Amino acid sequence: MARVEFRHVAKRFGDVEAVRDMNLTIEDGEFVALLGPSGCGKSTSLFMLAGIYLPNGGKLLFDGRVVNEVEARDRNVGIVFQSYALYPHMTVRDNILFPLRFKRVPREAALRRASAAASLVQVKDLLDRRPGELSGGQQQRVALARALVKEPQLLLLDEPLSNLDATLRLTMRTEIKALQKKLGITTILVTHDQIEATTMADRIICMRAGGIEQIGAPDDLYREPQSLFIAAFIGSPPINLIRGEAGDGTLRAGPVTFPFEGGAGAVTLGLRPEHLNFADAGLNGRIAQIEPMGREILYVIETDIGYARVLEHGSAAAYAAGEPVNVHFSPVDSLVFDTATERLIAGARAHPPMISR
Amino acid sequence: MAALTELQRLPGDWDGLAARARSLRRAKAAALYAFLIAVSLPIILPYFWLVTIAFSAKTGVADTMVLWRSTAVFVPTVIAFWLAAILAQNRRQMWLAITAIGLIATAAFALLIGPDLHPRNFIFLVEPDFASVVRSRSGVVRGAVQFPSVWKAFGNSLLIAGAQTVIVLTVASLAAYYLSRFQFPARAAMLRSLLVLHAFPVLTLIVPMFLMLYWMGLLDTLFGVILVLVAFELPFAVFIMKGFFDAVPWDIEMSALTDGASRRQAFLRVVLPQVRNGLLAIAVFTFIRGWEEYIFVFTFLIRNTNWTMSLYMYYVRDDVMGVDYGVVSAVGVFYLVPSLVLYLAAQRYLMQMSIGGVKG
Repeated sequence: MARVEFRHVAKRFGDVEAVRDMNLTIEDGEFVALLGPSGCGKSTSLFMLAGIYLPNGGKLLFDGRVVNEVEARDRNVGIVFQSYALYPHMTVRDNILFPLRFKRVPREAALRRASAAASLVQVKDLLDRRPGELSGGQQQRVALARALVKEPQLLLLDEPLSNLDATLRLTMRTEIKALQKKLGITTILVTHDQIEATTMADRIICMRAGGIEQIGAPDDLYREPQSLFIAAFIGSPPINLIRGEAGDGTLRAGPVTFPFEGGAGAVTLGLRPEHLNFADAGLNGRIAQIEPMGREILYVIETDIGYARVLEHGSAAAYAAGEPVNVHFSPVDSLVFDTATERLIAGARAHPPMISR
Repeated sequence: MAALTELQRLPGDWDGLAARARSLRRAKAAALYAFLIAVSLPIILPYFWLVTIAFSAKTGVADTMVLWRSTAVFVPTVIAFWLAAILAQNRRQMWLAITAIGLIATAAFALLIGPDLHPRNFIFLVEPDFASVVRSRSGVVRGAVQFPSVWKAFGNSLLIAGAQTVIVLTVASLAAYYLSRFQFPARAAMLRSLLVLHAFPVLTLIVPMFLMLYWMGLLDTLFGVILVLVAFELPFAVFIMKGFFDAVPWDIEMSALTDGASRRQAFLRVVLPQVRNGLLAIAVFTFIRGWEEYIFVFTFLIRNTNWTMSLYMYYVRDDVMGVDYGVVSAVGVFYLVPSLVLYLAAQRYLMQMSIGGVKG
């Protein structure tokens, strides 16, 4: 098991800066997620850890030792690729045995370890098959077994669930998380799926354009996003963004005005769909679309200032499409961002609960 | 529901339409088959005749009756097969018809051509000085060429084609892997020049090649010819193999590297097995190219112990053609068999050539 450190790590591909000045410490046994949209540098960071890419600057440390120049094969890192990257010409058994071949593990012991790894991820019945004969979920498990069989100090997961169907994704999420807790192995998950990150990881590193945007527990990122980017990226259905104007100790946004001491100028209010309510007065609009989600219903409302999303509990729609409605919200729930810098000025519950009309 | 417009209304005579479509489909299929047979007969017939002549022609007798009789069996058989394929209502009927036609054709063949068949034309397999024997049958013995044993020529051809194949496979797979996976200066230019090289008519280089081999002391050696053939075969092989390597995902290679393999081990154990079909295809084509080589061996090989099968065939034709075209055909059949066997054995893999594809 290892403690992983990035110190001013940078990676360039030609003129493109894939990762710039990355500083990060991942504790021994921790499960972290690198979250961000495609092209943000999260996979590049992962491949640098695996030893496939050589950083252009900075230092990568495993347990305090610099590993920049250490070859991939000497790093003892297990990796599961998005495509699973099983060797198509080998049976499942040979796939799992493959990493042990290079460690000069005696045949007997290797077979024992392979079958232990296979039973850990429940593919013991599939050992004689070839990857082409397995379903996506089974291939995924085999890839996990292959990554774990060498008892790596670090487990890297590159979008491991994105090729699975929705139900299976849910199961695998739970299983991988349980496995990580059981083995206590330092694990880094790369994903663009915020649900995957928030449900599995202890800590989320949110990346954007080659840099770290915010690091925090899943709940922190949801409730206190430090920038508009994260506010918009985390949360499904997405947050409502409403333009407002601050000054003279107040803030005005749509139907709501409330005292605000955070400065003056253009601001953007972020409001989660569950924090918008139907009311008798407020922002008026018309129901454009109704999306039943099972336990909740999402209403998309067309207003003068753009579309607003309202999430209501219950499974039966209380309104019909096209119906005029009024939407209201409490400033207590709103996140205030500086429109120019896109940074958070005041988090939720930072405002006095005063509503004036 | 609004009333149907003029365009939406459909004609009522469904059965008539279906029948018309059915007969049209039949007619089209029949026309297609007829066309295919018409163009393929002149292609198949020479091979058929070659084999027939090789087993039936007699020294000093210009007898084409056997050929006409065999054609009289062969052409109706092909047409009957075609009719069976078109008219059969289901798979069972088709197989029954094909079996019946096959049996009838075999019987007719045995009856009409069978008595004329004999293996005497294959005398060259056991008698190196067969030319004298053949000539003595018609009374003209003087001036027969001294032939080496056909097995010597066979061995030379095998050596040239085999060595060429091994070298091309090794170099092409390594070069193509590098071109596919590594970035280096002038990579694109190199890829382009590979194709240009292949576009070159090789014959234009025959004089400089001759001089080069002469000065290198490789003239009239099998090794020299092998080098020349390898040089001309490589560009295309590299290009094809690059397409196959491009199709191997990066992921499994990276995975092998993190699993503890070195770059070389990853190449040998993980990447190379993925391009097996490409290697087989290249191997077959290169081997056959070397097997059928004529111009370079004719120019660069002089001693008759260095003769290959193509040269052997050429000199046989030169020497006994006027007397006995049966022997020439027999040599041809003998020459044809190895490449035919190779093609049949590798057919399954050659069909998959397109999977690797060719990308720039």
